[in-house]
Amino acid sequence: MKRFYLFGFLLLMAFDTLSQVSFKYAGSQALPVAASMAWLARVFGQPWVYGALIGYIGAFFTWMSLLKHAPIGPAFAASHLEVVSVMLLSIWLFDEPLTLPRVLGASAIVAGIVCLGLAESHQHDVDAQPGAAAS
Amino acid sequence: MPAADPISSLVAVLWLFNVVLDTAGQLAFKAAAGNPDAGDGLARWKHMATRPWLWLGITCYVGEFLVWIAFLSLVPLSEGVLLGSINIVAIMIAGRFLFGEKLTRLRVIGILLVTLGVTIVGVAG
Repeated sequence: MKRFYLFGFLLLMAFDTLSQVSFKYAGSQALPVAASMAWLARVFGQPWVYGALIGYIGAFFTWMSLLKHAPIGPAFAASHLEVVSVMLLSIWLFDEPLTLPRVLGASAIVAGIVCLGLAESHQHDVDAQPGAAAS
Repeated sequence: MPAADPISSLVAVLWLFNVVLDTAGQLAFKAAAGNPDAGDGLARWKHMATRPWLWLGITCYVGEFLVWIAFLSLVPLSEGVLLGSINIVAIMIAGRFLFGEKLTRLRVIGILLVTLGVTIVGVAG
């Protein structure tokens, strides 16, 4: 069961990272933003939006399989560790500087996510005693 | 940051839309997936497909998809994903009220830390 969660969350993180990077490329190529058909045509007229779609769909099926057993809040939190992989990739792909507020903000957010993950494992120690794990 | 700047107000509106759509979508998926009578495997998917929750969740996600593309095209990606982390806070508070999920002390600390991080990036990022 533990391995199932670990593999599931890593897969979710990979799909989420693919989506975020693709979203950024898709959005940048569709500027300027407008609530118009022209903007939608620009968004769907280049390949990156489909990378985002693949990441979304992959994350969706991974997520629905995980949610069957995991409580929503902590599972959602665990899935959000992608902020770290996306931040690191952004330096390389988009030349985004690692500013002090971003590092401080990311540290607080990751610390918060770790707390939520710990809260989850405590909850699991309480919940998942004999016979609870079906798969 | 001057409130009159049209780009930053658009960013704020898109950020808010994203939180609302993401939270509503996640709650709908939880309602769809958490039904213990739904069975397993293909039967479970068939059960979910005939009920509104799954489709409500998908509708929210389609809206969020477009809102998020627009949002990220206006802010740096690293900043965007950090600001988007506020969804964690919104979903946990909503889960507390709608599904009775417990807010233990550790979860409250986690929520406060995430909120602090988003605030730092939002104000100074």
